[in-house]
Amino acid sequence: MVDIGLFTQIVINGLLLGGIYITIGVGFSLAFGVLEVVDFAVGEYVMVGAFMGAVLAPVFGAEGIFVIPIVLVVFFLAGSLIQPLIHHVTTGDRPHPLLMGLVFTFGLATFLRGSVLTIFGPNNQDVPSSLLTGGVTVPGVGTFPVVRTVTAVFGVTGLLVFMYYLYRTRGGMAIRAIAEDRTNARLMGININRYQSIAYGAYAALTGSAGVFIGMIFTANPGMGLQYTAFAFFMVVLAGMGYLPGVILAGIVLGLTQSFTAVYISGNLVLLVLFAIIYVVLLVSPAGILGKGEWAT
Amino acid sequence: MSGGNGSKDVPTLSATGIEAGYDRHQVLHGITFESRDGVTCIFGPNGSGKSTFLKTLNGIVPVWDGTVTYGDVDLTGAKPEEIVTHGIATLPQGGGIFGSLSVEENLEVGAFTVDDAAAIGDRKAEVLEVFPALEDKLGQKARDLSGGQQMMVSLGRAMMTGADTFLLDEPSAGLAPRLVDDAFGLIERLVDRGAQVVLIEQNVRAALRLADYVYILAEGEVQFNGPPEDLSEEDELMELYLGL
Repeated sequence: MVDIGLFTQIVINGLLLGGIYITIGVGFSLAFGVLEVVDFAVGEYVMVGAFMGAVLAPVFGAEGIFVIPIVLVVFFLAGSLIQPLIHHVTTGDRPHPLLMGLVFTFGLATFLRGSVLTIFGPNNQDVPSSLLTGGVTVPGVGTFPVVRTVTAVFGVTGLLVFMYYLYRTRGGMAIRAIAEDRTNARLMGININRYQSIAYGAYAALTGSAGVFIGMIFTANPGMGLQYTAFAFFMVVLAGMGYLPGVILAGIVLGLTQSFTAVYISGNLVLLVLFAIIYVVLLVSPAGILGKGEWAT
Repeated sequence: MSGGNGSKDVPTLSATGIEAGYDRHQVLHGITFESRDGVTCIFGPNGSGKSTFLKTLNGIVPVWDGTVTYGDVDLTGAKPEEIVTHGIATLPQGGGIFGSLSVEENLEVGAFTVDDAAAIGDRKAEVLEVFPALEDKLGQKARDLSGGQQMMVSLGRAMMTGADTFLLDEPSAGLAPRLVDDAFGLIERLVDRGAQVVLIEQNVRAALRLADYVYILAEGEVQFNGPPEDLSEEDELMELYLGL
């Protein structure tokens, strides 16, 4: 009964989507590890990235790809300026740092969503690109749509660069040390504000540029952010809080789940299916599907 | 007062009239302290403020009043990440190693303020000379090492900072009893290399064997200071504060 051609095509689409979700999930997970903040603004960074694509692409010959470098720089700078504010509300004499971080990023998310809604209205905006048509067909397997393939390549490349920085450079080592213990990192001479800024900036840059691609594949809409915040939560819960390698697997699971649900069940029920999965994972294995999350005991 | 500058020329770490605490709760009520050559021990019952005092020396706990100096350098109000660059390294309670980082990375984090790769290599070789057991553990995650080896990583990492003065916050805490002697042996190795050690310990008997000078704290004030020989005559003090 199952159409094999359709089935493999769904797998392709899902895997390619997973590539871009991974970059969002890894950044979100890192923000949690390094800044100890659950960042409710993550989806709004995707949304703002998509809108920057929609607004700036016409300036660059209707080519969304050309917006990526600008988005990377703007989001990195914005992220490294926002981080000290997050640090300020989550440290010092303030009680409940995790709650303070949640409230702050929730406020930031609301502000971003409201601003974009006010300026651009509630309608969908396209992010134009020459990549939107065409695809490479592999006989017997399926079609690799160009835009999704480029997106996945960007996602995986971004992930590799990010991982290289994190695991092969002194700055990355400092960030991992901070994620494990801020106070001890300071005692080793690490300027934690500086590296937390870099980490948050890199995370914002990756997330914003993922937004441009997502805007190209789907559309830009002021209300789209919440869905990607939910996706980010899905990935870190599935991966195990703070366990980066698990995010890669979780991103792929997310892409495939979205793809299959949209085709075989309904596009409207994607979030419902995702939360059903989260619910089961939290019940059965709270430390993530690989059981290696920070909350593993 | 002995200046503490022996043949090794390690600056004296001194604190004068230190008052500090958490939120509005004052813990330290005017502590005056000076590090000596070799091992300066700080003893005291739980809640005496000895750990808080150590944290005012390394910058973790802000000083409300009083001054901290290291040789000629005024460190009052300096941040922890600055203080370590002046040559004062801390071994936090429990060792404070980064368990998810490899042993080699732990050592390299210790030299984070050093940019010269050759100097880092030299120091690493030095650490491995003092703790040869770490040699074939370099690639392992630090959390997978035994308690004694983790202590070596912690001491080795502190050595990597290039410090002359080491602040040790209860190094024997959490170690299996049979490892406590080993731990103090490791500290002796640091001292033999000319380092100055400020040691907080609950295990007074073991620490006294290393001590060159002793402070006893209680209720945030210095109750006694002097060489360990004088302490043995203070029976009442020993019993009252140290339970000996």
